[in-house]
Amino acid sequence: MRTFVPLFCSVTISFSQSGLDIAQKLDNKERPQSVFSRISMVLTNSKNKSRENILLSKSNNIGKNQIIWVLKPKADRGISFLRKEYEDKDNEIRMWLPAFNKIRRINSNRMNDSFMGSDLSYEDLNSRALSDNDYDRLNDELFNGIDCYILNVISKPELKSAYSKHTLWVSKKNLTILKEQSFGKNDELKKVKIYSYKMVKSYELVSKILVQDIQKNHKTEIYIDYISINTDVDSELFRESSLKRIPRL
Amino acid sequence: MIAEGSKYQESRISKIVLDNPLKSIFIPIFLTFIIGSGLRFIIVDDNMMAMLPTKMESRMTWDAVQNEFGSTESIFVAFGNEGENIFNKEALSQLWDVTRKLEKIKEVEKVTSISNIPKIFSNDGFLEIEDLQKNRELSEHTIEDIANYVNANSAIKNRMVSKYEDYFNIIIQPSPNVPHDILRHRVVQVGDSLLSRNYDIHYGGIAYITGSVPTMIKKDISTLIIIGLGLMCGVLVLNIRNIFSVFLIFSIIIQSLIVMAGVMGWITYYTGSKYFYFTIINSSMPIILLTIANSDGVHFVTRFFKEMRSGKVTRQAISASIDKLLMPIFLTSITTIAAFLALYFAPINQLLGYGVCLSIGILYAFILSVTFLPAAISFKKWNLESISISKESILEKTIRNIGVVIIPNPLKILKTGLIIILFGFSGLMFVKVDVNIANFFKKGTEFRKSIDFIDEQMAGTMDFRVRVEGDVKDPGVLYEIEQLQKALKENPSINATYSIADAVKQMHFTLMDNNPEFNTIPKNGNKISNLLAMYSMSGDGDDLDSVVDYNYNISLITALSSMMSTDQIISFVEHIHSHVNDLEIIDSVSVTGMGVVIRDLIYLVIESSIISLVASLFCICFITSLFFKSIAWGILSIIPLLSAIIINFGLMGFSGIYLSHVTALLSSVIIGVGVDFSIHYIYHFKANRSKGKSDKNSTEIFNEVGYPIVLDSASNMSFGALIFSNFIPVQFVGGLMVFAMFATSMGTLTLLASLTEILKKKQIL
Repeated sequence: MRTFVPLFCSVTISFSQSGLDIAQKLDNKERPQSVFSRISMVLTNSKNKSRENILLSKSNNIGKNQIIWVLKPKADRGISFLRKEYEDKDNEIRMWLPAFNKIRRINSNRMNDSFMGSDLSYEDLNSRALSDNDYDRLNDELFNGIDCYILNVISKPELKSAYSKHTLWVSKKNLTILKEQSFGKNDELKKVKIYSYKMVKSYELVSKILVQDIQKNHKTEIYIDYISINTDVDSELFRESSLKRIPRL
Repeated sequence: MIAEGSKYQESRISKIVLDNPLKSIFIPIFLTFIIGSGLRFIIVDDNMMAMLPTKMESRMTWDAVQNEFGSTESIFVAFGNEGENIFNKEALSQLWDVTRKLEKIKEVEKVTSISNIPKIFSNDGFLEIEDLQKNRELSEHTIEDIANYVNANSAIKNRMVSKYEDYFNIIIQPSPNVPHDILRHRVVQVGDSLLSRNYDIHYGGIAYITGSVPTMIKKDISTLIIIGLGLMCGVLVLNIRNIFSVFLIFSIIIQSLIVMAGVMGWITYYTGSKYFYFTIINSSMPIILLTIANSDGVHFVTRFFKEMRSGKVTRQAISASIDKLLMPIFLTSITTIAAFLALYFAPINQLLGYGVCLSIGILYAFILSVTFLPAAISFKKWNLESISISKESILEKTIRNIGVVIIPNPLKILKTGLIIILFGFSGLMFVKVDVNIANFFKKGTEFRKSIDFIDEQMAGTMDFRVRVEGDVKDPGVLYEIEQLQKALKENPSINATYSIADAVKQMHFTLMDNNPEFNTIPKNGNKISNLLAMYSMSGDGDDLDSVVDYNYNISLITALSSMMSTDQIISFVEHIHSHVNDLEIIDSVSVTGMGVVIRDLIYLVIESSIISLVASLFCICFITSLFFKSIAWGILSIIPLLSAIIINFGLMGFSGIYLSHVTALLSSVIIGVGVDFSIHYIYHFKANRSKGKSDKNSTEIFNEVGYPIVLDSASNMSFGALIFSNFIPVQFVGGLMVFAMFATSMGTLTLLASLTEILKKKQIL
């Protein structure tokens, strides 16, 4: 029951009339079982200064399990993250710090922390459960000349989230999310995400994401440099021990 | 002398002016309005940095630091009650409110206080960061935790809590290019509205000082200038004994001032050049132009009365005054203009705009003196029996009597003058320079108390910044940064230092379960990188903005200090440079901060003063030599002002009056006014000789030009009212102004008069 899968795997959508119907269609849209990708992440601060991270990501189970290794910058090479999503308990994120030889479990109350100093929080990396939110369909709009559904995804009060709601621009033609605005607990606009896609085999997968933190005037550009889908990614990989071994591309 | 009814051959200019009096009055007034309308384009710039040339090392470093780390000129707001512990529920709630309200001010880039800084702690063996004060309302237990954390972190405590824990300090960083006076106003508004009821508040910091002082000085000087003008008016009325004439002299002064300010506005509007912004240096321009324009008017009016007293025909008297004064006033104007344009060679860029605008004001005063003034005089029906025309004033008679004493004893007068000059010369070596505007205030004044409080109880107002280029993930670089910090701390005036090395050490210590053995820089670069990566995940990315750039390649060491004297600043900067030279791993280090800026300004003020003095003296000597066709006359023309400058600076040396960018204006006043006096004297000396009056030449010259010179000086002495200023250097200017006027007029009437007399007797002239 997911509305969209983790950012570094793919984003898929479906079509319907009401807000909930659109969300369900998005959730049901077919997506790859496993993804192996190389990602460039360019962070730019308010003074227009940039730094780049190169990451390697492997996921399976439609993005429910994911492991990410840092390749660059050189001094951070080997820092890695293991993310596992569960239906019946809190999601789990672990981080490996090679220089200190330590593995850290990131608590659920730290989900708002930044992923590698980017504008994505750990919460942003996780999928959103369909049942955690309410859905409102707003008036349709054009985005970059593309006819879109506008969907308000409102966090239910019991949900532990840094956001009160998200507004999605969903392409009517492809049922892909083109833009997302995320609002904080006081309904202030916190982040804007813009997505670009490319066709890989029969899937329309994210090729670029621009994330802007409106309040900090900071942005993160994510480029998927290399992607390989539905290759054999063994479930055994998603263990702590794998954090310490960077695979070859 | 023109006998009544005798035929007087009018010059062309006299004829044009007197035949077209209405045009001669209204065209200048119209021009004044047109040019003066540029006033609205004047941009006031309170940024002291504008005075430093953009290619100077400390300025380049300063600009780079502002670009990479944001403004380093902060405002401090300290509040509390003496003797009462500030770590209490109410004070922390107030701190929370003020911090958040200050953050909402659009001119504010960043606010730092205990209520919004991060707390680094270890959780399950890992580094975590959260807000030190999470809520407005706090329990006693949480307050104790906050106090304990602050007390354990000296880098935080030194900056944000007073020595005796009875005051909190809030640090406000301005947004880029925000005028400090506006920022200061907004901050004080918030601080006073929220805190003044229950707490004692102290404001400080460079941005607060630079945002307050120029406005306060302008207000203070404006009031005192009005008083000075009133006194000047009184002196002129008492001596000229005709209100209409004094009104005309003031018309010239006011119109010249309007045109000077208007030109400044128009040039700013059309060129956008920052050299034409109105800075603290420019605040001396009105006084200088006032004295020069006054001189032109006084010479003309006194000459007119003299001619009336002898010729008794208004048109002829005006015409004779124009003809006799056109050339000397023109010559005094172009020499003064040349002297001020010589400021082009001064290293303080703002002096170019200063010189150009002042020159235009001087030129306009000249034009008004030979058009507007005579035309306006021609409109009045003059009563020949009035006291102003029929009788000499007391001052005029006194000058005549002094002349009788001086002229027959030129050698004695010269020797006495030389002894005074030698005495003044020996005082030159004691002249000290101080440009620190915090020292503009006497100890004990409200403003100074606040600065002293920040200096004594907090980290201090003055800052030194060391910009380091080198990969901070390299342990060697961090180690050298740490060593540099230690060297900075050796100075007893330094109250706090902080850098990325402190942050990394704290992260290391926290990650290793607060084990003091790890309160060090990790020896492995990857560890440093992992610590920084961890911080970037859990903390706010902006937290380290003030100590390291985004790519971890450029870092900033900050040292905050109490106010230092000029000598202390110079030796401390040398001390920093000597340590910088010992570094081996760091690629490049440059030093800046308000301390260094003050040091460089000191050099610039000295350099500018010397260059402008030498260049202007040369220009004056050159022009007068050319005009009088003799180098001897050229040299003689600068002797009175050169001697006045020596005596003036000598007096400054002996009396402990320091040279600053404010007191430096005295040399300009001396040159501007002094050259007028000597040229008038020489012109009349030569004019009378050419008429074959060589026998009684000097006594006559003394009588002719002595009175306007002394009257001009006496009226300019009215600016001695500046002695009642609230600012120390302005008080000095007031006192020195009186002395400078005395020195320049006496220099002409004693030294120049006796020298010309001696040289004449020896048939050298």
